[in-house]
Amino acid sequence: MVKAQSLTKSFGSFNAVDGIDLEIRKGECFALLGPNGAGKSTFINMIYGTARRTSGDLKVFGYDPTSQSREIKKRLGVVTQDNALDESLTVLENMEIYCAFIGLPKEKRKKRIEELLEYMNLSHKKEARIQALSGGMKRRLVFVRALLGNPELLILDEPTTGLDPAIRHLLWGKVRELHQAGTTIVLTTHYMHEAEVLCDRLVILNQGKIVAEGSPTQMIAEHTPGYVGIFNAKERETILNAIKNRNDSHLHEDVSGVYLRTSKLTDLTAMHSELGLQPLQIRPSNLEDVFLKLTGKELSIDA
Amino acid sequence: MLEFLRLCFHITRRNWTVYRKDLIANISPTIADPALVLVSLGLGLGAFVAQIDGMTYMQFLAPGLTVATSLFTSFFETSYGFYVRMSFENVFKAMLTTPIGSREIIIGELFWVGLKGAVMAVGVAIVLAVCGLMVNPWLIPALATVGFLVAVPCGAMGLLATAQVRNINQFQTVYSFIIAPLYFLSGIFFPIEQMSAPIRFIAELFPLINGVRLAQALFWSRGIAEAFLVQGGILILQCTVFSAIAYKRVQKKLIT
Repeated sequence: MVKAQSLTKSFGSFNAVDGIDLEIRKGECFALLGPNGAGKSTFINMIYGTARRTSGDLKVFGYDPTSQSREIKKRLGVVTQDNALDESLTVLENMEIYCAFIGLPKEKRKKRIEELLEYMNLSHKKEARIQALSGGMKRRLVFVRALLGNPELLILDEPTTGLDPAIRHLLWGKVRELHQAGTTIVLTTHYMHEAEVLCDRLVILNQGKIVAEGSPTQMIAEHTPGYVGIFNAKERETILNAIKNRNDSHLHEDVSGVYLRTSKLTDLTAMHSELGLQPLQIRPSNLEDVFLKLTGKELSIDA
Repeated sequence: MLEFLRLCFHITRRNWTVYRKDLIANISPTIADPALVLVSLGLGLGAFVAQIDGMTYMQFLAPGLTVATSLFTSFFETSYGFYVRMSFENVFKAMLTTPIGSREIIIGELFWVGLKGAVMAVGVAIVLAVCGLMVNPWLIPALATVGFLVAVPCGAMGLLATAQVRNINQFQTVYSFIIAPLYFLSGIFFPIEQMSAPIRFIAELFPLINGVRLAQALFWSRGIAEAFLVQGGILILQCTVFSAIAYKRVQKKLIT
């Protein structure tokens, strides 16, 4: 559905997206993961033509977004990073304006809006002004707006940033349902867990380049297999000593503690049984570890 | 083409939907400002002014004030208004995810200010005609055309300012050094012919001056056909040229 080849977008001498090759297939949930400024939103904007590529090639549904963006935009829905709702208007007024924009016939609008408000648990708010809605409600309404046209491709640009866990889980549930119903989904996020929970396949972007690609489990198996134990920062020296002759152990530290990754769970429990170190937490390795490793924030023990 | 017009129309309609929510606040300045000028200058200063072209000063002021309303309503809408929609409310970011493109947004916005300019001009003209300042009140509908033809190029100037400023405060500079001086030099308050040639040359480039002449022809029932032909022609040309330049510049703000 989306195919990018050596795709590059520069602002002056800065390459926001730097020679990306990727393909997003029909029916999959695909995530672009990366820190702020990695090029995720720029890539998304290029898909529907609000950013024009500097070089390389990009096709969406077989169309070129630079010259045929209207054809593309008829078939996709976007949960924008900013809500961008008209604050002084009511929920219904906002949605009616968008129905007009996407060209939904008048007689179908009311039914479609009410269906989706119901789906997002917002029916009771349809006469409310946007100003009177909570952050979570606004976000749900942006989902409604993105779904009005029954899109084949749904783009979620940081859909849950700044939301509380309850709303986040509710939205994840909805995204899964849409995915199961056959909608192709492209998600950008800097929450590793979100990508891990929702997506079939993902790329990690860093400074405009793809640093890894695959399914979440593949990526973990390939880059950071094993388990992670988190220890108190003051135990750093003891741990360093204990693992200095082992090449399957990796250490990463930050203000929250020392992160020790080993291939076997028993190596971590041994820290407790042999050295008396009490881990704060032991867990299987996850995408966060992959991310820290690939973006150069993890320290290899031999480094 | 049909699709393009449909989308432009929906942008205009969206602006109207938002505008009418706060109708009283939004139309206050357009009604109050001309009334204030007319009373203070027309009655106050007018008492010291001998007749101009065989008219009282009030009669002289009336047509200019009508089209000045179109200038202000359009300039503020496409400068402050457009800037807020673009940079603070992110309205266009959401619109651009629909089949709407930058061209539809810009043309839709200009059409919106054109309509607003037309309605405001007619509104002010009705009040002035009731005050007995218009020779033939049946010509009021024609002022809609003048209002539209002034509002579009002045709105395009507002868009150009939007493309140029680095923050919202800089509009004040544009207003103080470009819009306000040209407003005073557009033949509303005194016949522009008495100014020196360089000043007149600059003032002639501003769309308002031709709008004022056209409105004067309609208010005073003097040489209407000729004014539509000459001033109307210039205004149509300015609509096209100013809009095209504004489109080129603002488009870069919407599509990166």
